[in-house]
Amino acid sequence: MNQTSRIFRILLLLAGLALPAAAQTTGELKLPPYKSVKLKNGLTLLLMEQHEVPLISFSAIVGAGGVADPAGKEGIASVTAGLLRKGTKTRTADQISAELDFIGGQLGAGAGADSSSIFAEFVKKDLAKGLDLLTDVMMNPSFAPDETTKLLKQRLDGIKSAKDQPQAVIGQYYSAYLFGKHPYARPAGGDEISLAAIMRDDIAKFYEANYVPGNTILAVVGDFQTAEMEKILTDRFSAWPAKASAPSHVPDAAPATGKRLLLVDKPDSTQSFFWIGNVGISRTNPDRVGIQVVNTLFGGRFTSWLSTELRIKNGLTYGASSFFDRRLARGGFAITSFTPNATTERCIDLALEQLKRLHEKGLTEEELKSAKAYIKGQFPPSIETSDQLANLIATLRFYGLGDEEINTFYSKIDAMTLADAKLVIQQYFPLDNLVFVVIGKASEVGTVVKKYAPKVDTLSISAPGFGATAGAGSGTGN
Amino acid sequence: MRLIRSCRRIALGCVFAALLAPAGRAQSFEVKTHTLKNGIKILVQEDHSIPNVALYTFYRIGSRNERPGTTGLSHFFEHMMFNGAKKYGFGEFDRAMEANGGSNNAYTTQNVTVYQDWFPRSALELIFDEEADRIRDLSFDPKIIESERNVVRNERKLSVDNNNFGVLNEQLWATAYTAHPYQWPVLGWDVDIVNWKMEDLQNHFRMGYSPSNATMVISGDVSFEEIVALAEKYLEPIPSHDPPPKVTTQEPEQMGERRVVVRKFGQLPILQVAYHVPQTNSPEFYPLQILETILFTGQSSRLYQRLVDKDQLALFVGGGWDWSFDPTLFEFNIRPRAGVDPAKVEQALYDEITRLQSGGITDQELEKAKNIRTAEYYRQMKTISGKSNVIGTYEVFLGDYHKLFNAAAEYAKVSKEDVQRMARQYFNEKNRTVATLIPEAPAQKPQEKK
Repeated sequence: MNQTSRIFRILLLLAGLALPAAAQTTGELKLPPYKSVKLKNGLTLLLMEQHEVPLISFSAIVGAGGVADPAGKEGIASVTAGLLRKGTKTRTADQISAELDFIGGQLGAGAGADSSSIFAEFVKKDLAKGLDLLTDVMMNPSFAPDETTKLLKQRLDGIKSAKDQPQAVIGQYYSAYLFGKHPYARPAGGDEISLAAIMRDDIAKFYEANYVPGNTILAVVGDFQTAEMEKILTDRFSAWPAKASAPSHVPDAAPATGKRLLLVDKPDSTQSFFWIGNVGISRTNPDRVGIQVVNTLFGGRFTSWLSTELRIKNGLTYGASSFFDRRLARGGFAITSFTPNATTERCIDLALEQLKRLHEKGLTEEELKSAKAYIKGQFPPSIETSDQLANLIATLRFYGLGDEEINTFYSKIDAMTLADAKLVIQQYFPLDNLVFVVIGKASEVGTVVKKYAPKVDTLSISAPGFGATAGAGSGTGN
Repeated sequence: MRLIRSCRRIALGCVFAALLAPAGRAQSFEVKTHTLKNGIKILVQEDHSIPNVALYTFYRIGSRNERPGTTGLSHFFEHMMFNGAKKYGFGEFDRAMEANGGSNNAYTTQNVTVYQDWFPRSALELIFDEEADRIRDLSFDPKIIESERNVVRNERKLSVDNNNFGVLNEQLWATAYTAHPYQWPVLGWDVDIVNWKMEDLQNHFRMGYSPSNATMVISGDVSFEEIVALAEKYLEPIPSHDPPPKVTTQEPEQMGERRVVVRKFGQLPILQVAYHVPQTNSPEFYPLQILETILFTGQSSRLYQRLVDKDQLALFVGGGWDWSFDPTLFEFNIRPRAGVDPAKVEQALYDEITRLQSGGITDQELEKAKNIRTAEYYRQMKTISGKSNVIGTYEVFLGDYHKLFNAAAEYAKVSKEDVQRMARQYFNEKNRTVATLIPEAPAQKPQEKK
């Protein structure tokens, strides 16, 4: 706790969603080769060798996440994932933890809006034991009633705990307010009300319907020989019975029109935390590389416009950035920062000025060149390790993207022109239609934020939930 | 990630076979070293798996080198190191680095200030030029200092005022230490951030940033020879001077439990308990690391099992001790569940400590902890960034990077009795500080908090 960094890491992570950045003008980066196999039960296996350290990483994606939760029971996908390692037909939660920790292994699962995911990593010599555990938790979870009750209660307190830190929850408030009645409004982790409504049966049903081999991609990357690993995994996973499944379909949300603002009152706050934006793009948007390049300059790196104006030149904040959360359907775009109560107005004004300047003035040739170099120079470390690569190839497959996503990445960046940038700005960066979420001290900043929107909603941070019904119904549609 | 390197070769028209050949084991991680005439020690770990480089510079200066009135100066200084020098003026350091594909960060602790650069190998010479420029000719522009002062105050608001863990932890250290500089926060007290002066900054630069006070670690797509040549060209001409004065203050032995309470708006309470333990470079290092692993790592760990899982008193429990030059704290950081009296969690923690002191640990636990440490070692070595960090940390805190590669042998020597002895020796009431955050309702009237 006694370490303090120059740049807040969470912001970097958020910026990373938009796309990591970099430089280097020669050559194309290519994904290492890997083998793709479909088992008879429908499970997709992806196998890639990496021999630098004696570790083996697994990344599985199950094609159902928070949007598959029944209404009013948000959090089922997430709790189901959390319970996988909390007991199987032949092992208690304690046995799983003891066996896993004894070999220094890692095994975890979680759920986002579009999908659920399982990650595991073992030292090579412990592969057999590691696979015993991984296959058991994926294929035979028991959802023991006592463990289920325990985890649901922990998750509920976890929401309360998170509400002590605005940055841990502002994303949920923003999604709820931005997406209104669209499924992406619903918190994948659940809230104080929905978690209390979940029963063990809901979880078992979710598992039966969605954890199906035909709905699952399993990538393995690390220190092994492909032929041998293929045989091992085929033997192990063939016991998983085939079953029909319906992958989630999510329609695109319609962008918000006009302006509206949600103020979440946190009465002890000495800073205002804000997200401003609108509906953004999907993972497969055809202009995604161009959007990444523009966003890198606008709010995706330390010298971006937002960071330069809000932090470097004016000292109004410790961090300012912007990002596109790219999902199966269109996710959110947001500008985000935080500033002392007294400078809330100046900081938000300045952020909005950057958006205006982006539309009016646009970018320069020199900036474009710099962003291209930055994205390319920073990209290799993001696919450096076996766990990163396992996650990458599983994710590409899940979104239906081919290896060319990586193999032509540099040439797509190189091909980007200022004219392309102009089109990207017009089409994907909002200007007049904006949704604002501010978490702060209402008694000090409640008045100044009123100027940003004709419609202002308020919530107390202590009130249960994230205000999923507060949004003005941005509606759904294609 | 050897194959990525092969891929790059293909793009450059190299042999296809390189891609398919089984990659050799790179598990020895050879480090080569060179010390420049001005005292900077350079450690190089060649790793050609990706066309990138991670360059970490460790300066042996941190908040322990500060004094009352100018607390937080080391950290503020870390920020100023990015705000312009002679050749690369205000904003130019970052602009040039990013335009050439690089990025950076830095961090400050009680003990060290560490600068991190991540970049494609094509930017190697630029990075040396930039690093040399700022240690040789840093600028002190009053206007920029004022702006950065606000950035740091914002950082403090974020991680202390608006973070209940931060505000409580600051009180824990301020209570556990009465004499030694570990009593003040790395970020500094807000009033000191407001008040430090230009001459304080200039003095601090002179004190901490002699080349002889630095260790530089480079891991990635480089050759040892090219690094030595660049270092001789850019860094060696910078003159050295005296290192920071020795920190002579020692914390007197604690004579009885200390308690501190913070009452503040919040959803849930927090409990932090700490015991004084020796510094990193002590014989206790390896047994304490094993003890930390047994207490906290994994869902089979003693404290997760008891507090989170069995008794369901806590939402999470974490802790341990950080690398340090002087005797430090071994911390227990606990988030009690809603409706649970922090006193009840505290008692359960002491029950577990007593059980450890009287019953010791099992063979199974000891072997588990050693296995976890081995796996952790490989995880640190997965990336060039991880390698630069861990090689530098061992070199700076344990005096010799070789100890990283000998760690497995050292852990093998730790016995059950050693671990039990640590718990008996340090986890006792007289040596203990307890900090509790009790949530309180918001004030009815708006309160000015500045």
